[in-house]
Amino acid sequence: MGTDLWGTTAIVGVGETDYVRGSDRHVCDLILDAAMDAITDAGLKPADINGIIPPPGYMSTEEIAAHLGVPDVAYHVSVLMGGASPTASLQTAAMAIAGGLADNVLVCMGWNGYSALRPKPDARPTKRVMNLGPMGETVRNHYAPYGLMSAAQHYSLYLRRYVETFGIPEDAAAAVAIACRNHAQLNSKALMRGAPLSRADYDAAPFIAEPLRKFDCCVETDCATAVVVTSLERARDLVHPAVVYLGGAEGHPEPADEIANRANLLELGIHRAAPRAFARAGVSPHDIDVLEIYDCFTYVVLLQLEALGYAEPGGAPAFVANGNIELGGRFPLNTHGGLLSQGHCWGLNHVVEATRQLRGTADAQVTDAELALVTGYGDLGDGSVAILGRDR
Amino acid sequence: MRTYVPTPEWIVLDWHHACIAAELLCIQRCTGCGRWRHPPRRFCPACQSDQATFEPVTGSGSVLSFAVSHRSLDPGWQAHAPYATLLVELDEGPRLLAATTTPPGEIRIGQRLAVRTEALSENFVLVWADPASHDEPTSMAPRARGNPHD
Ligand SMILES: [Zn+2]
Repeated sequence: MGTDLWGTTAIVGVGETDYVRGSDRHVCDLILDAAMDAITDAGLKPADINGIIPPPGYMSTEEIAAHLGVPDVAYHVSVLMGGASPTASLQTAAMAIAGGLADNVLVCMGWNGYSALRPKPDARPTKRVMNLGPMGETVRNHYAPYGLMSAAQHYSLYLRRYVETFGIPEDAAAAVAIACRNHAQLNSKALMRGAPLSRADYDAAPFIAEPLRKFDCCVETDCATAVVVTSLERARDLVHPAVVYLGGAEGHPEPADEIANRANLLELGIHRAAPRAFARAGVSPHDIDVLEIYDCFTYVVLLQLEALGYAEPGGAPAFVANGNIELGGRFPLNTHGGLLSQGHCWGLNHVVEATRQLRGTADAQVTDAELALVTGYGDLGDGSVAILGRDR
Repeated sequence: MRTYVPTPEWIVLDWHHACIAAELLCIQRCTGCGRWRHPPRRFCPACQSDQATFEPVTGSGSVLSFAVSHRSLDPGWQAHAPYATLLVELDEGPRLLAATTTPPGEIRIGQRLAVRTEALSENFVLVWADPASHDEPTSMAPRARGNPHD
């Protein structure tokens, strides 16, 4: 199976809503709009879809199929790894296709990440919520009673350790925040288009949970995204150039369900996923042309770059310096603006952007991009990696 | 000031009940091989035994890391922002979070700590940790700086 799986499937359709704060659309409408856009983008009809991976919460496969008009769901599965879910879902979609369980698989994500906490006064109420999955129990029992409710607070437990162990300067986090914001200026759908970020702005912003300042944290957004995965063979008959899923992996820290008792607080799921993903895709970190790195928080980007092999532990600050991760640099990072500045769609927006880069149709296009790497990061440090390439 | 107090269940509840009964911090210990472990688990990862007890620990440990929150969704904690939450490594080995009355600027990784528990309900104890110092008068009780659970 291994040799029949990697490089035999492709992303053929992408869809996304606008990224906004305060949507007039119900969360279900966002998810269904993105899903229909992805199917249409692929040149397919809902009846062609027979595999569905729904978002972690909000909507079920059964509902999505019924509202889209998908008559025969042959395979579905839910992936519950928080923000690592969408990128990990690609390997599940590929397995279903390579194993003959499904032909065309829809992966979707969407939420009212801004409005859920701050509904407009006239908004119709919704009881739909995310599925917190494995971290719900730990936060409820062990973190929230200590005043740690938000992801920024939970992750700061190991980001503090990271910063102090290696003497990570704020310059490094600022470089990530500013690169993402610069790229958002070029992206037609980015929430933060038109709102550039200077180093002075970054420095002047208050702390949320140390070392995280305001601009180290991603933007809460109402949005949805979706992709369609199919076999490479079928992909070659469809409208867009096939974007091949060359390899991917997931990984979990030990233990995955809580942070405190990990032998190494700085060893996350991606440290285990990254070598698996590169081996499966048959490429090395320095073959990659575009990096779409899960950027819930800037310092989490730095840790992931080290896990991926772009720097030694503690060496990410040098990697992100001197424009290396800006458009035009050697490793352009989050060319759509990322979760930090395009909007937070749980990293499926990173998959959408990587697909556009490899089609050659991105708003901030990397010249001759042939290989893109996407990561996901979620819950209490779960990780996922996807390596995508142009069809040759 | 309202502050969230959970109602634990299953073996987490057993842990809280053990701490309340002993009026001390207790930690799960494997009957098979003697290893300490936290949070409570059904099987020992070293010897797979499911026989374990909750035993009092010395209450001594050190700061492995800490969070400094400048805002909180919890009104009780928000009133004390910025506040630190300590990731404590007990001398017995297991680690756990602890609230502290020590100002964030006075906390250092590696600092020695003394841990105590406070029952907030019949089913929940909060763990507190503050620097173990022989210089401080004993009247420097944790509540002196304000307890978000007051
Ligand atoms: Zn044992």
